[in-house]
Amino acid sequence: MRLYKKEGTTIQIISFPNEKVEKGDYLTVEDPNTGKSLIVQVIDIQYANIPGILDELLRNYNGDSYIQGEDVDPFEVATHIAYIQDACLLICKIRATNNNGDIISTSSWLPSRSQAIVKRLPVETLFAQAKINGKHSMHLGETIEKKQLHVDVGALDGGLNIITGKKGTGKSHISKLLTLSLVNHGAPVVILDLNSEYTGLGQDVDGKPNEFHGKIHVLTPRQNLKVTLIQLKLRVMLSILVNALHLPGTSAREFRRIWCSLEQKGVLTMYELGEGIRNWKCNQHVRDALFSRYYTLLNSGLFTDNPAQSSSLEDSLYKARIGGVVVINLHDTSIIDRLIVVEYVLGKLMELLANWKLRAIFLFAEEAHLYLRETYWDDIVTRMRHFGVFTTFITNQPDTIRENIYRQADNLFLFNFNNEHDLETISRASKVDAETVKCVARDLPPHHCLVLGKVVNDFPIVTKVRKLDVHALGQTRLFFSKESY
Amino acid sequence: MWRQDNHYHYLRIGPFPFHITEKNKNEIYSLNQHHKKAHLQEYTSPNLLYTQTRLTTLLERWIQMSVNQTTHNSLILWDGSLTAGTPETSVQEMEQLLKKARDNQNTVLAFSKMTRLLLHGYRVTDLIWKHPSPCLLKIQNYPIHVGPLCLMGNVHVAKLTEDRYTFRLDIDKQLSHKQSIEAVQKLLGNDLILQSYPETLRLAHIFSTFTANEVLGIQRCIAKESNMRIITRPNIRRILFGRFGKGLEG
Repeated sequence: MRLYKKEGTTIQIISFPNEKVEKGDYLTVEDPNTGKSLIVQVIDIQYANIPGILDELLRNYNGDSYIQGEDVDPFEVATHIAYIQDACLLICKIRATNNNGDIISTSSWLPSRSQAIVKRLPVETLFAQAKINGKHSMHLGETIEKKQLHVDVGALDGGLNIITGKKGTGKSHISKLLTLSLVNHGAPVVILDLNSEYTGLGQDVDGKPNEFHGKIHVLTPRQNLKVTLIQLKLRVMLSILVNALHLPGTSAREFRRIWCSLEQKGVLTMYELGEGIRNWKCNQHVRDALFSRYYTLLNSGLFTDNPAQSSSLEDSLYKARIGGVVVINLHDTSIIDRLIVVEYVLGKLMELLANWKLRAIFLFAEEAHLYLRETYWDDIVTRMRHFGVFTTFITNQPDTIRENIYRQADNLFLFNFNNEHDLETISRASKVDAETVKCVARDLPPHHCLVLGKVVNDFPIVTKVRKLDVHALGQTRLFFSKESY
Repeated sequence: MWRQDNHYHYLRIGPFPFHITEKNKNEIYSLNQHHKKAHLQEYTSPNLLYTQTRLTTLLERWIQMSVNQTTHNSLILWDGSLTAGTPETSVQEMEQLLKKARDNQNTVLAFSKMTRLLLHGYRVTDLIWKHPSPCLLKIQNYPIHVGPLCLMGNVHVAKLTEDRYTFRLDIDKQLSHKQSIEAVQKLLGNDLILQSYPETLRLAHIFSTFTANEVLGIQRCIAKESNMRIITRPNIRRILFGRFGKGLEG
């Protein structure tokens, strides 16, 4: 390989046919005079612009047998010509400089073009140089070079993460892998599970209990997720009414009075709440507004007056605090009920975190735009993060996540995308240049992921995500499946 | 390159890389002379820049002789003229080539893309461009010997298709006028003619020209096989005169 050109942070390298290089590979451009080397990553591979190549291709085209012939090449020059014809141009991005063992993120110097030695840099060597593995090692998968890739799951701590890719590329799979790795390291995880995909995390592929069985707590609204009003604080109820059920301010004020009145009397139940609204002296419109929300709450099935039927989210979170998962199963839940449940869960989480009953929580939210209210997006990247809610968004529609979320994301697990619009959206992530995202993500095979961010010390890595021994649920139901024949 | 059964066929031989220097040019030139010793033209080796032309002409004449010997009843198209007496081609050598072709009932038609022959102050190829095609103009009474040069063929101007292109066409002097006309008729009937130029000859040009990539490949082969490093010498004209420094280096 020979160094050819540098423009900004892009380096072009000529590669010859016997030098096998793939997109995502790392190379070092070593300057023997200075002892420094550039660490660059291949983001695109093109044919080298060889003079006269078009003439040759046209001349040697023999598709229609119009011209037939024989070549006598006693000096075997043809192999040398083919060697040059097949030369490639590697478009590489500079990631860092290795200055006698110190990895510095700079590209302010230029290696000698005539003397630079370009070599492949195995990912494991890069990781060793960049000290990436860390204390909380997690086996993520294998690299392009078929070497096992271990990253520091601790890099998810205090961060905002995004998992995105088109359908069927392995997003849910990696989120399960991250979840179980966090659990392995004693972290509590809450999953807002839209398609009941995570309920089988405690079972192996055959449906038998696995090592995580006792650590997975599945809570399904109407079934084992029911709360009494006493468990629910007024603040949480008001956020449900205002944010999920759009109760106007005047009505909310009346509701607060009713709630306080019932609380003082010690009769804070759903039945008494209904009676309270009925008998409260207030404007008829306010009463109607309160009643319509009351019946929505009643029909959601989330609330009960029987303490024996109620289950405490707090208890589940308490069990998970030393390594466990609380799966909020939102499958078969109506849109309104989903909003109510999510408001309740997030409200409860904030309350527990604010009171230091929980140290921190890792929240996995799949297709969050379907249940997160507008203002939560900003809350998640600012306020909630400081309370200890470290969110991972999982989506196949990248434009449903706001631009500021991409900009502030600490880690990005990117699967294949072909759509230009989607690639454009993701390229706003600040952890890497737009060109890398567009060039690499477009050609990622299924189950291969481009990992960006703190978890890989800002060295983008392409990895094949390893398999998991858990019961796969939530897969798309097919009509033309093998069993139907 | 040949046309047979409505198909074009080619046999591409080479490339033949030679390493010619000021030091070894005499050795190479004497090797060249060894093959042509019966018809010595030059007694000292030429300028280094012309050595390559000598070698390629030697190879070209050898191939022409092989074709003349191995084909029968064919039209043989040459690139260039039937002019002999040049440092590369002696009169005797050209005579032998044409005789061998005639012995095998072949007809040699030599097409020149450029000519310096003038008639009444006009370049001969400009004489018939207005005439309808096909048109063959025989230039008669042109001096056979011009200095050391000898025209071994009858000079014609040919306009074979309906456009502005005309070429000098040399046909073996030993052939009758009728045989010459018949040869051109056979060419028109058997080959694809575009822009007044036979397709066989056009393809031969295309297949025998090195592309820039092939030159790089040859250089790589030399570098690899002979453990030599290829250095581009600085062009002193360019250095001295900048963009006004035209011509070959040196």
